[in-house]
Formats: sequence, C-alpha cells, structure tokens
Amino acid sequence: MSMQRRDFLKAGAAAAAAAGLAGCAGLPGGGSRARVVVVGGGYGGATAAKYLRLFDPSIDVVLVEPNEAFVSCPISNLVLGGFRTMASITTPYTGLVNNHGVRIVRDMVTAIDTDKKQVRLAKGEALAYDRVIVSPGVDFIAGAIPALERPDAQARVLHAWKAGPQTVALRRQLEEMRDGGVYVLSIPEAPYRCPPGPYERACQVAAYFKAKKPRSKVLVLDANPDVTSKGPLFKKAWAELYKGMVEYRGNSKAIDVDLRTGAVKLDLDDVKGDVLNVIPPMKAGKVADPFVTANKRWCEVDWLTFESKAAKGVHVLGDSTLSAPLMPKSGHMANAQGKACAAAVVALLNGESPNPAPTLSNTCYSFVSDTEVVHVASVHKYDVAARTFKTVPGSGGVSSGRNELEAGYALNWARNIWADTLS
Amino acid sequence: MIAIARYLAAAAATLAAGLAVAQQPAPPAFAPSNLSPAGVRSLAANCAACHGTNGKPAAGSTLAGLAGKPRNELLTAMSQFKLGTKPATVMHQLSKGYSDAELAALADYFSKQSR
Ligand code: HEC
Repeated sequence: MSMQRRDFLKAGAAAAAAAGLAGCAGLPGGGSRARVVVVGGGYGGATAAKYLRLFDPSIDVVLVEPNEAFVSCPISNLVLGGFRTMASITTPYTGLVNNHGVRIVRDMVTAIDTDKKQVRLAKGEALAYDRVIVSPGVDFIAGAIPALERPDAQARVLHAWKAGPQTVALRRQLEEMRDGGVYVLSIPEAPYRCPPGPYERACQVAAYFKAKKPRSKVLVLDANPDVTSKGPLFKKAWAELYKGMVEYRGNSKAIDVDLRTGAVKLDLDDVKGDVLNVIPPMKAGKVADPFVTANKRWCEVDWLTFESKAAKGVHVLGDSTLSAPLMPKSGHMANAQGKACAAAVVALLNGESPNPAPTLSNTCYSFVSDTEVVHVASVHKYDVAARTFKTVPGSGGVSSGRNELEAGYALNWARNIWADTLS
Repeated sequence: MIAIARYLAAAAATLAAGLAVAQQPAPPAFAPSNLSPAGVRSLAANCAACHGTNGKPAAGSTLAGLAGKPRNELLTAMSQFKLGTKPATVMHQLSKGYSDAELAALADYFSKQSR
C-alpha cells in the first residue's frame, strides 16, 4: 500500500517535471513569455484560459483545477429529473490542452501571494504569474444553516448546487423516496448562483414525480418574496403541468434544519419533508476571500479589466464578483466574462489599453418539463459614467411561453457553450 | 416686480424640471462602440455560446454556423431580427442590444471566418 503510494507520488513528480512545472516559482513564466495562472476551470476560468491562448498564443497559460473533468451545472437539473446522465453533462479538459496548449495542473490553490506574484498549491508547489485570473465560483456561507456544519449532516441534506457527486446523490434520494413523500427545496436570498435554477429544479423533480410517484409533492421554500426569475412562466408551468403537486411559499427563509425530525426550520414554523434539498446562502469561492470587498461576500472589480479592487494583478470573474445591476450569476455570463477578461489581460500584458466599450450577453434556458423550455436573455454594455455594466434598453426579454422549439435550442446552446469553453 | 415674478416662475419651472430629471434614473451613458479589429472580435465572442467559437458550430449543432456566410445574408437576418420582421425565439431580443454599425461589423467579421 505504502509502496504503491510512493510509486504514485514519484510518477506524479515525474509527470510534473515533464510538463515543466517543477520548480517553476522562479522567473515569471520561466523566461520572457508572460504567464497567466487561471484559478478554477468552470465556465469562467476555462473560457478565459482558452481565449487567452486564442487572442495571444505567446502567453503561457496554466489552469489550476482540482476536478478531473468539467461537470456542467446548467442541464444538471435534468439529471435529477431522470432525463439525462452525468456523462452527458461532463466534458474532459483535454481539449484545452490538445487544441490550445493550456497547461492544466490538477490541484487546489491554498493561497495567492500578491507580493511575490505566486499561486501556492496544496501539493506544495508554487506557480509564478504575471497576472492571475481567479474564477472559483461560489462557496456557502459558513454557519448560515448551523446544523449543516457537520459533515454527516451535509451528506444527508444535500444542496446539489455544484454539479457532481451531490447531483448523483440527490437523484438517488429522490429514487429512494416513497410515493406520497414530500421533497422540500429551500432557496436562499438573492444573489445566488443561477437565478432560475431552483425553479427549474422544482419543475424537473415534479416531472419525475408526475411520471413515477404521482402522489408525491414538491414544496418550494423561497427566502425571496417571490420567484426571482421568469416568475410568470414558472408559475404557469406549475399550475398547468404539475397541478396540485408543486406548492410555492415566498418569504420562507431557512434558518436551520432539524435532522431528528427531518424538517427545515423557518422563522415561525418547521416544514417536514422526506427529501430535504437545502441550498444555503452563497459568497465568493473561498480562494477569492482576500479579494472580497462587498458585504463580506463578493469581489468588486474594475469592469473594464476585471481587475480586483483589492489587489493589483489579480482579476476576478464569474459568480465571485459583485454582479453589475441585472447581471445574473450564470454559466453563460461567466463564459462571456471569461472572454472579456482574457481580452483585457492580453491588452495589459502587451502594454495596450483595454477595450473601453465591452459588451456581455446572457441567456438562461430552463427546462420546465423534459420537452419544454423557457428562456431569459439580456445584453449588457459598459456605462462610462457609472463605471459598470447596464442592460441595453429595449433589448433582452423572456420567452412568450414555454415551448418545444427552444428545448432544441437549449441543448444546442449547451453543446456550443461547452465546446466554446473547453474545446 | 414683474421681472422678479418672471424670474421666480422661471426658477420654479427649472426646479420642477430638475426634480423630474432627478426622479427618473439617468439614461445609460454607454461607451461609444469599439469597432477596431480587437473590439469587433470581442463583440463577436458573445455569439459563440450558441453559434460556436468564431461562428463555427460544435458537432451536432442544430443552428447553422455563421462562419463564412455571405456578409449580406448575415446582416439582412440580423437587421430583420432587430426590426422584428423575421420570426425568432431569442434573436429579436439579443440583436436589439447592438447598434446597426455593430451588426454590420459582426456580419463582416463572421463572413470572413473560415467555415
Ligand atoms: C442564446 C443563444 C444565441 C446567441 C447568444 C446568439 N444567437 Fe443567433 N440565433 C440563435 C437562435 C436560437 C437562432 C434561430 C432564430 C431564433 O429562434 O431566435 C439564431 C439565428 C441567428 C441568425 C440567423 C441564421 C440563419 O441562418 O437564419 C444569425 C445571422 C444570428 N443568429 C447571428 C447571431 C449573432 C451575430 C450573435 C451575436 C451577436 C448571435 N446570433 C447570438 C441563438 C443565439
């Protein structure tokens, strides 16, 4: 056992040396090439890594990501509904390596030393950088749901708000639930990752119950006063497709869970369920903590460059940022930001001025059943007076009604954005 | 006396107008479009999420690619989406986020990409 482990470590060290990563804490980029280290291989970070190389192939790009493959949050609710497999929402990182020459280090970042301009890794190495792009997504606010501080409780009451093992585990809980059971979904106060995601999830679980466990119920406890995205479209779907099955309660903020009774605790009452799916309130991903400047939760950036307001040479993007007005924390938005950030970083490294007029756009498709979809779309442009992005008046909007045509377009979106991010 | 009254009335009118302006959110002061090659490339990057990187669709796409299509065909489609004369699920909403000059630059850009 220990022998095997030592061999594994040796092999790992050899692989790292071969990849030119051993002892690379010396000169930035190990020579004259500028090096950008990207922290986090989600929609934001992976896109930034690819587009850095597309925009300037002379830049050495290292992406640090602990997971072996990319698992998409968008479309993952369909795995809960039983309509898609995990394999269908998983994409390897090899495209970034083979097609774009991005170097991938499978590790966790423990610290970003902005004085030495180094990213420190859990396995002990450090990576020197000229600029670092931090795209760690979200983490949950510690202590917000006190009972969920314990690991055994976390294994029982799932969030499944990061696609991966929790998605599989929640699907299993739903499969094991008796017909006539109650699935309770607790939604945190906005802002949180993926505004329409929880309501899509309610639809997907209801679609599964309707087909397989028709006496069961979906109970949505929303900390917000009302559905935060595409409200009329979701409510219509609940009323027409899942009549008597989905119950929605606004202003119902979870303050804890009671594992003994199997209940979500609200201010005034406890709500029991057979499967509790509690999504705790969120903040910037932990590795971005030193760059958090707003409400102890989010990172403010200069929207022209995505440079942190707390540290020079550090760019933050995606869900970790303090979002501009009406800007969602979504995979599509992180992908768009990844490209805008990459363009700005390339300009800065080449001594040029960044684009003074960036445009970002977003579309979130939600499956209200296995065959019907609704979307919300927006276009965001840079306002020079307010120094932030604002939506273009008259642009954007939602679907006129749920429809099957857009189910095809939603899957088309998934295919293309996964390729745009990773291959 | 009359002059003062007129002055006061004018001041009141200015004040009222000022209040009306203050009560309305200021209209956005968007930066002028950047139609330099790098600016257009960044603009076009917004289309990739649904139409593929540089307009080349991913395998299995249901939407036709934009890369290498005739400039006029692309511009006509986008202008009609923006005017609302071409049926759309989403392009009518997205195209309104771009000025006519930006749409022309995008059509130009995609027409020059290899398929
Ligand atoms: C959210 C996905 C999405 C994004 C982003 C998007 N499109 Fe589209 N595009 C579509 C869909 C869907 C259609 C089919 C028409 C419809 O239903 O809106 C389409 C159709 C088109 C067509 C017509 C193609 C044809 O053969 O008729 C053009 C041209 C086009 N888009 C250009 C663009 C450009 C340029 C951008 C970037 C500014 C863009 N699109 C961004 C989804 C998207």
